Amino acid sequence: MNGRLISLLTGVALLALPGVPAQADTVLNVFTAGDQNMVDYINDYLGPKFEAANPGVRVRAVGTGPGDAGSLKIFEKLDAESKAGAATWDIDVAVVHQRGAAQMLDDKLLSNYRDQIATGDLVSSEMADNALGTNVTGYVMPMFNSQVALAYNPDVVNDPPKSYSDLVKWVAAHPKQFGYNGVKGGMSGVGFVMGWVAAMTGDGDKLDKGPYDPGEKTKIEQALSEMKPFNANVTFTPGNAGTLDMLNRGEIAMGPVWVDMFYTWVGDGKLNPDLKLQLIGPGMPGQPMYYVIPAKAASPDLARKFVALATSPEVQAEGIVKRFNWYPGIDADKVKAKLDPATWQKLFTDVTPQDLATKAKPFPLSQYFTDILDAYERVAN
Amino acid sequence: MSASPTEAETDGRAPAAPAFFPSAAARVPQAVWALVLLAPALALLATLFVYPLLLSLKSSVSDASGALTIANFQTVLDRYGGDIVYTGAISVAAVIVTDLLAIAIAGYLTLGEHPTAVAVLRWLYRWPLFIPFIVAGQAMRSFLAKNGLMNNTFVGLGLVTPAHTVGLLDWRGVTITFVWKQLPFVALILAGAMASLDRSMIESARNLGARRPRVLVGIVLPQVVGPLVVASVLTFVTLQSVLSVPLMINAGSPSMITVDMAYRITSLNDYGAANALGVISYLMTVVFSWLYLRKGVRDEEQRR
Repeated sequence: MNGRLISLLTGVALLALPGVPAQADTVLNVFTAGDQNMVDYINDYLGPKFEAANPGVRVRAVGTGPGDAGSLKIFEKLDAESKAGAATWDIDVAVVHQRGAAQMLDDKLLSNYRDQIATGDLVSSEMADNALGTNVTGYVMPMFNSQVALAYNPDVVNDPPKSYSDLVKWVAAHPKQFGYNGVKGGMSGVGFVMGWVAAMTGDGDKLDKGPYDPGEKTKIEQALSEMKPFNANVTFTPGNAGTLDMLNRGEIAMGPVWVDMFYTWVGDGKLNPDLKLQLIGPGMPGQPMYYVIPAKAASPDLARKFVALATSPEVQAEGIVKRFNWYPGIDADKVKAKLDPATWQKLFTDVTPQDLATKAKPFPLSQYFTDILDAYERVAN
Repeated sequence: MSASPTEAETDGRAPAAPAFFPSAAARVPQAVWALVLLAPALALLATLFVYPLLLSLKSSVSDASGALTIANFQTVLDRYGGDIVYTGAISVAAVIVTDLLAIAIAGYLTLGEHPTAVAVLRWLYRWPLFIPFIVAGQAMRSFLAKNGLMNNTFVGLGLVTPAHTVGLLDWRGVTITFVWKQLPFVALILAGAMASLDRSMIESARNLGARRPRVLVGIVLPQVVGPLVVASVLTFVTLQSVLSVPLMINAGSPSMITVDMAYRITSLNDYGAANALGVISYLMTVVFSWLYLRKGVRDEEQRR
């Protein structure tokens, strides 16, 4: 019995051997919220680049899932490790959404590192300092920025709406031809609804910049109850990808999508390349994803090096813009210099830099965000 | 089927009488061993089921500060009352359709007289059993869409014109996917039960001139009601917990409560309301589980 047990254990140990690295590698754990493309970005592009520059380091990418849910999982893990009093935490670098970053900062789970990396002064936009009303200066570096816009089929739509009020008229004239994914099926639908509230209340600035006023709830409800007849004439789509699928199959003629996802699908041959984008006024929201470093990362120095590489103009140009069709996280002029004009122009074919300057808005403050989601469920359906 | 009284008394346990008299050394190990054997199962049950269940019950009646409240249930009934009814209705509808089709399939496997057809059906009907819900959801969403594979095939065959196609990406799509996915499971259980029936009754009925549907309804079905109830209960409970299919197929409102639970957690970080929905989901399954347990108890009583 004992002999058999020993041979069994030896066998198991031998089987396990190939999994043990030949030398004691330092592992850098990078947790990322978001779709599979985020994990691909780190595994296929950024990780190998960092490993090549830092021998003996292995980058391990872990995806935690799309949307705020993915960020929430990272928050829950850090929160648990913090509450358990662990000396070091398992996450060295995390990529999170704005709400996630704000939540982690509120619970003091992040380290202030932007001043300690060389690329820290390459970002000057508002989004590097303000995440849905929380001051995140120093704690985050934007990885990229993405934007919600309307995609439409020019074969069916000759004169696309330029604003939310145009869209209301268009939908009334073309029932079921506009599709979006509500607020439970992904952020492109959520973004569309946030833009609707800003447009119909006329309080976009107040919603984005605060201060929070609970009295605004009535106006939000009013704006969303006006959405009820609109919703009766639209087609609901199953998710961000669902909107693109239905556009592609010609089941709807127009719908809100993420710009980067749109270009990636066109690039992969999954979407009709004739479809076009339109950013409507007064504005639609977009959001960055942030690199953050937990307060007790096991390898803080390596983590900072990793973020510095990831936010260098070269990587932002080649990886973020060229390969993944995202808008750069650091200042655009720093990245533009590293790219050929054709690639740069492709990013702005339908949505021009002027459009972005005037109509790309942040998501509302966290409290308004929650109020809007809450009111949507009660009055918009 | 029924065991003799002597067998029933000793069935599954040690003889009671000697245990009172032997030495302490012989008595203790038996109790200890029984506990040791039960311990892993009990530990799993306690840590993975009972403890989370209690936590979820507690969270559903607590507010953010931990104080007792029924606000979560008020929120949930106010926002998702329609979804709760919808979830119950769609699960019951899916169970009924699945049962009817499973009876037809299992019935043909038992009573079919064309060996090739029986063999082909036997081979074919199990396939969906091996497909995960999420894959079924993804496949159905491009199959059932307005301009999806199904409608395009109909248009290609000249059965409908493109203008008249209808997308099924709503409650119908969810029901179809549920039925497609659960049908082999129910059919497998029913076919097994039917195969173990005494065939002489079926054959006598056939000899007396009964048609096969009459034999199925009048002779076979009444004898497999037990397994059918069990399979239906398990199907209902399974469908209650599926998130991917309604998320991928059923856009808009109303939706199934699993979608609402996921939404309360992921978008609003509101575990209280999500757990309140969970408790409502338990209550729905409890009704069906009660049927299942009652069936089990009756079987046990019949055996005695």
